[in-house]
Amino acid sequence: MNDTMNDTINNLSNISEQIDIWMCIALVELILIVFLLMKIKKGKVKWQENLSRKEQFKQDALKEEIDFGNIIQSSFHAQQLYDKLKIKCHPDRFPNDAEKNEIANEIFQEIAKNKRNYKKLLELKAQAEQQLNINI
Amino acid sequence: MWNRIREWFRDRSARARLLRDFNYNARKAFIEGIVPTLLKAGVSKGCSSYRHQFSDWLKSGFRVQAFAGVELSKSDIINIGEVVLSENALVRTLVVLGFDTLEVHGDVGNYGCRWQLKDYIQLSY
Repeated sequence: MNDTMNDTINNLSNISEQIDIWMCIALVELILIVFLLMKIKKGKVKWQENLSRKEQFKQDALKEEIDFGNIIQSSFHAQQLYDKLKIKCHPDRFPNDAEKNEIANEIFQEIAKNKRNYKKLLELKAQAEQQLNINI
Repeated sequence: MWNRIREWFRDRSARARLLRDFNYNARKAFIEGIVPTLLKAGVSKGCSSYRHQFSDWLKSGFRVQAFAGVELSKSDIINIGEVVLSENALVRTLVVLGFDTLEVHGDVGNYGCRWQLKDYIQLSY
């Protein structure tokens, strides 16, 4: 009788040991799954943020107005006008007049900045003719 | 998925509109005698080494070609390319519409120049 009881107790303790091991494994797996889920969620948020920023960049770019007429004209005429303006509006042409020299300096910088923009160069040409009293 | 399909169609439409606007203005300037050469914009295969995040996977080249009128010299070709690249709004639009290569070609043969568009824009959005 005693032997049977001892066997039963031994069996039960073995089962409880086995349950403990399986519980540990299950717990570790659960922690791993939670960790991976959190990582995926975090990555998804980052990916979505990146996607929305990309979309925003795209929307902003598509909203901009493009002056194709000016681009076509600039392709053929901007270089010639720039060459003419950079000579006529050079600040060294006004060494004795400090005021005109300063204006010429500003205009010259703008000309250099917009050397491929025909429309802007035409505006600068008109400004130079008016403010520097020169014929271009 | 549905959004992606809609976006794809929207992009196609925006690309077609961009080319149409360019060609319309080029034709108008040529007819009015403002420019000596008729330019025509189109789409080409592009250069695979110029790819970026927005690149179209089939046709990613924006090609500007002389169509009629005075023949373009090498300096004219370079000048046209530089004018297009100096227009930041146009370069940005080209990039987001999937173009990664700008090609400028003469009317005869295959001579021309090409530029990598992402070099002329900051893509850190």
